[in-house]
Amino acid sequence: MQKGLVPLKKITLLLFVVVCSVITGGPFLWVAALSLRTTPEILGRPYGFPLHPHFGKFLKAWTQSNYGQYFWNSTVVVVTAVVIATLLGAMAAHGLARYPFRGNRALRFLILSGMMLPPQMMILSLFQIMFSLGLYNSLSGLVVVYVATQLPMTIYILETFFSHIPQDLFDAAKLDGYADFEIFWRIALPVATPAVFTTALLNFIILWNEFLYAVVLLTDNSKRTLPLGIMFFMGGHQIDVGMVATGLMITILPVLLLYSCFSETMIKGMAAGAVR
Amino acid sequence: MASMPQVRHGERTSLTPQRSAWIPIITFVAPALIIYAGFTLFPVLKTIYDSMHVMKPHNAVEFVGLGNYRALLTHDVVFWKAVTNTAIFSLVGTVCDVAAGLLLALCLFAKVPMARFWKVVWFSPVLISYVVVGIIWVWIYDQDWGIVNTVLRWIGLGSVAHPWLGDPHTALWAVLATQIWKWAGFNMIVFLAALYALPADVLGAAELDHCGWLAKLVFVILPMLRPTAVSLLVLSFVGKMMIFDVVWIMTRGGPLWSTETVSTYVYKRAFDWNTFDLGYPSAIAVLWFIMILVFVAVLTRLLWQHDKLEF
Repeated sequence: MQKGLVPLKKITLLLFVVVCSVITGGPFLWVAALSLRTTPEILGRPYGFPLHPHFGKFLKAWTQSNYGQYFWNSTVVVVTAVVIATLLGAMAAHGLARYPFRGNRALRFLILSGMMLPPQMMILSLFQIMFSLGLYNSLSGLVVVYVATQLPMTIYILETFFSHIPQDLFDAAKLDGYADFEIFWRIALPVATPAVFTTALLNFIILWNEFLYAVVLLTDNSKRTLPLGIMFFMGGHQIDVGMVATGLMITILPVLLLYSCFSETMIKGMAAGAVR
Repeated sequence: MASMPQVRHGERTSLTPQRSAWIPIITFVAPALIIYAGFTLFPVLKTIYDSMHVMKPHNAVEFVGLGNYRALLTHDVVFWKAVTNTAIFSLVGTVCDVAAGLLLALCLFAKVPMARFWKVVWFSPVLISYVVVGIIWVWIYDQDWGIVNTVLRWIGLGSVAHPWLGDPHTALWAVLATQIWKWAGFNMIVFLAALYALPADVLGAAELDHCGWLAKLVFVILPMLRPTAVSLLVLSFVGKMMIFDVVWIMTRGGPLWSTETVSTYVYKRAFDWNTFDLGYPSAIAVLWFIMILVFVAVLTRLLWQHDKLEF
């Protein structure tokens, strides 16, 4: 395909690629520009370059518009949920991959089918369940629900990885007198570090962006996560485009930071996690 | 329930479970299983149970059997509107999504300069929250200063410019475009992986035969990408059948139910209508889940069947 390309075709292809990139990346650059300009400036010239960038807007959003609180809530909920889901998921994956017990396959099917369930099948009754458990409108309640939603994918990815670790490694450890949990903690987990890291990264992105469970299970303004905070802000400040744009940037900066460091890992992980 | 203890890669049969092996198994699997059972499986069963009841104020619950389902299928106009919208969204969206992903992947596979950079840029929307994407696109479609209308006026098509999300005739398509914008990069990545996994000797043989690049694409590359395309189509279709975030953020199902999807309707009936009754929305969720399962079964069967005939 590449050999037959005459220069004209090559230029057309490059032009198409550039147009696609402008369509994909343009909106982000535009919001980045908006986040540094004030609303009057934006309304005057929506597509201007931020010649006099107002970096103070980020500070204002953080302190006066409650974004600090939202950011903190999101961080606490997501980090806790990712740590728990990854740890419990890795344990279960190790159990399923390493111990051929009766009902192993049925159990695997039961857990993995969770990846196919639409959230609507859980959300209505979860609302009632969390209410009766006293976990409605609480961040710890949201953490538990997030752990439950992320477990199937975590187990799916890690179980595939764990089952490919050579059994000899485990037999040797057993001969050395390692206990079952020691084998998991000191052999399986360290060997699987790349897969564990990828899974944790994926879970982080998915939960950082999560909207539906949060909107159903949280009501207090002081408990809102970032996606809810922005939506609330959007409702209250319909006109204040500049401040909303600053909020959008605050939300996507952690993701963009992770992406710029681990783009290959994230791209490969996403493909592996979703194609089952 | 009880399946045979299976032997996996490189595992020794001598490791068949003894009675003592149950303790580590339970320690490893139980914590995850308890959370999963309590906060995923139990809610699913409760939703099915709820779908056969009507909930009234003061915790009164009345059993109505399949009454909710009957009302849903016969009397609910909005539900059928939502089903139509979701069907359009899923069918058109899935095809466009996968086609766009394939096109982008082929561009990179054709050895365009700086391929790595383009790949990273094209994949970035996949990672961004729908709340952020939705708000950006609401602005992009804005009647007065949105880029779509600005460009239309600039090239002299000012008469076409209008509030894309405010018009019932265009709102669904506008939301659909946003959805494609977000997910094309994902399909691209999967196609790209499949393209690089193609056997080099087959591609080389095509070149030796002086096969032009278009012929090579149509007769060699595309047929070999078929399995990838099928799984992406199914995956994308299932995702769109459940679509909620993007619609809720951009239009809330409006104007005039023109973008109402089944998911947004479930949410509205449950939490926006102040009726206390979670039974009826549960029935919608259950019915829709069954429909998704049926669709997936039919789709997989149709697409794979075709495969078998071809080879």
